[in-house]
Amino acid sequence: MTVDLAEIARYMRMGRAVPDGALAERVVKLRDEGIASMRPARVWHRFPIEDNSLGPVGMRLEISGKLARHMCGCHAAYLVCGTLGAGFDAFQRRASISSGVDALVVQAIGAALIEKFMDSTENDIRMELSPGETLIKRYSPGYGDFPLSAQHTLLNLLDASRRVGVALTDTLLMVPSKSISAVIGVKKGEEQK
Amino acid sequence: MKEFIADRSRIFFLDGGMGTQLQLKGLQPGEIPELWNVRRPDDVRAVHEAYFAAGSNAIYANTFGANPAKYHGDVPLADVICAGIGIAREAAARSANVSSEPRYVALDVGPTGRLLKPSGDFEFDAAYDAFAEQVRIGSAAGADFIVVETMGDAYELKAAVLAAKENSSLPVVATVALGDDGKLLTGADVECVAALLEGLRVDALGLNCGFGPDRMLEHVRRLAAATTLPIVVKPNAGMPQIVDGCTVFTVGPEAFAQDVMALIDAGASIVGGCCGTTPAHIAAVVEHLRGESSRLASLTSRHAGNERTVVTSGSRAVEIPFNDTLIIGERINPTGKKKLRAALTEGDVAYVLREAVAQADAGAHILDVNVGVPGLDEPIVLDATIQAVQSVTDLPLQVDTSDPKALERALRHYNGKALVNSVNGKEESMSSVLPLVAKYGGAVVALTLDESGIPPTAEGRIDIARKILARGAEYGLKPADFVVDVLCLAVSADANSANVILEALERVRTELGCRTCLGVSNISFGLPARPLLNAAFYTMALDRGLSAGIINPLSSDMMTAYRAYRALTAKDAACGGWIESFGNWSPADKTVQSCSPKAGSEGQSSSSDAESALSAAIRRGLKADAASATREALADGMAPLDIIAHGIVPALEVVGKGFESGKMFLPQLLMAAEAAGAAFDVVRAAMPPQAAGDVKGPIVMATVKGDIHDIGKNICRALLENYGFKVIDLGRDVSPEAVVAAAKREKARLVGLSALMTTTVGAMEQTVKMVHDEVPGCQVTVGGAVLTAEYAAKIGADNYSKDAMGLVRYAEKLFTTGRIAGETQRMVRLKEE
Repeated sequence: MTVDLAEIARYMRMGRAVPDGALAERVVKLRDEGIASMRPARVWHRFPIEDNSLGPVGMRLEISGKLARHMCGCHAAYLVCGTLGAGFDAFQRRASISSGVDALVVQAIGAALIEKFMDSTENDIRMELSPGETLIKRYSPGYGDFPLSAQHTLLNLLDASRRVGVALTDTLLMVPSKSISAVIGVKKGEEQK
Repeated sequence: MKEFIADRSRIFFLDGGMGTQLQLKGLQPGEIPELWNVRRPDDVRAVHEAYFAAGSNAIYANTFGANPAKYHGDVPLADVICAGIGIAREAAARSANVSSEPRYVALDVGPTGRLLKPSGDFEFDAAYDAFAEQVRIGSAAGADFIVVETMGDAYELKAAVLAAKENSSLPVVATVALGDDGKLLTGADVECVAALLEGLRVDALGLNCGFGPDRMLEHVRRLAAATTLPIVVKPNAGMPQIVDGCTVFTVGPEAFAQDVMALIDAGASIVGGCCGTTPAHIAAVVEHLRGESSRLASLTSRHAGNERTVVTSGSRAVEIPFNDTLIIGERINPTGKKKLRAALTEGDVAYVLREAVAQADAGAHILDVNVGVPGLDEPIVLDATIQAVQSVTDLPLQVDTSDPKALERALRHYNGKALVNSVNGKEESMSSVLPLVAKYGGAVVALTLDESGIPPTAEGRIDIARKILARGAEYGLKPADFVVDVLCLAVSADANSANVILEALERVRTELGCRTCLGVSNISFGLPARPLLNAAFYTMALDRGLSAGIINPLSSDMMTAYRAYRALTAKDAACGGWIESFGNWSPADKTVQSCSPKAGSEGQSSSSDAESALSAAIRRGLKADAASATREALADGMAPLDIIAHGIVPALEVVGKGFESGKMFLPQLLMAAEAAGAAFDVVRAAMPPQAAGDVKGPIVMATVKGDIHDIGKNICRALLENYGFKVIDLGRDVSPEAVVAAAKREKARLVGLSALMTTTVGAMEQTVKMVHDEVPGCQVTVGGAVLTAEYAAKIGADNYSKDAMGLVRYAEKLFTTGRIAGETQRMVRLKEE
């Protein structure tokens, strides 16, 4: 897995501009080091949706508010969690020590890589769907009114700390920091573009 | 029990999967398995009994997740653990009636589910406390031994093993879960794990979970080469596969048993199963081994192994070789280093970390960390510095202190197995240092001096080394746990010093069979051209078998000596290291040559050419070009202050305006600032010392308590520094008290705080208030993704900057001294250091 300069540039808030010259060289070097230091891992599990929630008794994940509107018509959902791993975080800490440029660039590389990794994970999940089923856009705790506190339930349902090494801090941040968790609804019908 | 674990003339059978067995009985995903000890004890007991019936000698009680950091059930933790051990004991008692084989019960200790610092926010001591509580309850409830299992992080593993050993007298077995690449989640490989666990003196170690027995084989082979302890294996029934949305394990009992035989041949003597394995899997293994005495016979003689000297970080094992040499970076030691001393006193963590990264990049294998500055609280500062350094490098560290209190605290919190610097032949030193090495693991540097000083002869130094080794043996330490330092004394004080050192080096190797280390640069003390003499002596020491030189890896003379020695003594395969380092070497110059065209043609170069070349280099973010353009400007006779005023500052101005108007982006701004910084460095070197006046700063910066996202803060720090401010960077997850203390100590007029998450803005508000209350006249500026100017005002901040450039502008306004004067002062200050 890799990402190109334009993808990284977007996460450096460069809009449509693409790095060139010395900056491009720097980005490519750091990207290659970053890819060498990451250890992507992901886990997902499918749950039926019943009474606007999912999961076993005692550990139900509520689907309400904007998330419920987003998931309207879904009969099931995948919970998913992916991470670039602790090695990428260590690389990012190291890069941030000596240079502000490196700090910024590595941050962007990490963001681009984890997004791409989650996209490819979604593609793999799609392979599991029954005929006539489709995935809707993934939705993460912290978006809209889907509370960050839902992270606890979401990650516990996936046994994420044991399976992929993703844990929560007291302040509900996921660690390693380049990690994404989400709910992806499953509904009948064609995929919406 | 201990003897049973250690007995390699037989196989000690463990149980198989518990979680997957409970799932078959109805355990739901996300449900807490340990609650079944109270709610469905018959089902749990039935699983234990089935394993005993299958031939297990020991079963793991259903307490894997029963530690206070992870467990959140509605039944008290102690009840769940006691019930779990009780059920297991009942199963053992019932089964004992049908067979005379011993039946043991283990307290099962799994991970906390939290990620420890530096990757996460969980403190080592908090993890230790959680495990300690579990261990105390479990051993009181009647467990026979303790298993620490499925660990994915070497640091957490250390916390669990220490807790087990300090809170019970039961045997301790520890196993880890490797990923597909043969490493733990946080990067440690089997060599790293083996060194750590041997150092902590567990009774057996090994692998569980992760994958099936076939794929476990190569890792068990590596483990057997790396440890002399009994090896435990508990593989899964193959790799999990998803069938109809459910996780299933596909390797059946017969195939499992076949593959486990290979693990036994590779050295495993304690055998069971993990996820997906069933009583039938264990029964198949037991059946396979019945009557296979030849298979067992080979086990007893296995991995008696050569003794190696290995130290580790949380993710990397480094062997201090007997027949090769490596480099211990000496630069994090304040003796004779004014700048480092200042950084340690000011709490400027970033400076120390840059030293660490620079040495690692230069090729050091181990880094010495010494924070011995008078007036500093060494136990606290050494501990904090080591943890900070470990967050940016995976090199093992040499913990360098003469204070036993500082040593113990540092070794306890050290992530891995450290090199300890040092013990010496004085009774006081041996009796305080050696027990710590025995307890926490580690290799220890043995200084050949004692109550009567440093012996003048090689013979005398060998005798002291012998004494220390003998004393170490009383604590269970082996010769391989020592690295002997025969002490480097200046040749200017004693003409025969080098000869004595070289003789002693060789004799430690041949007569004691020990590795050696040496602080090489002491040899030249008091003489001119020290680097040249050091390099020559270093080569001589290497030739006499020096295992580890404590040197400055940023010195090209020393690194050249190191590389040349290895290339010339067949230690550098195909001279690969030499070629990699010197492939682009040219005889002309040791400094980096610029490839930028010289401004102007011969004889016509003018100040304005140099200026524009410099300005262009800065604007385009070309560090090397900016430095060489500055050198050219100086060579052309431009005054340093003019270069700053007419070259560097206007270029930065252009870039800053470009950024503010949206024509340039943040990475380009930062590149330009770095190039300007490189130009400053050149000018600074050419400046005469001048009278000091106001400096720009200092500014104290921190990411607030609870927040570990510090990219924004790091970018601001870098830009401020490139604009000539002095920044004291306290790092991330910093308490309000620490910020206040630094602001007071530095008499800071500005504190900068960042927070990324809504959940940490509370800590920011608290910090702002505390600074205002306790540091009168100090302003607080804040920034971060969730903040707005309104919100910043609401929490009482004096300023909000939406980006790094905004912060620079604000700081410039605040520190009203003229820019030129400020730059001048910055350079004067740096020059002095």
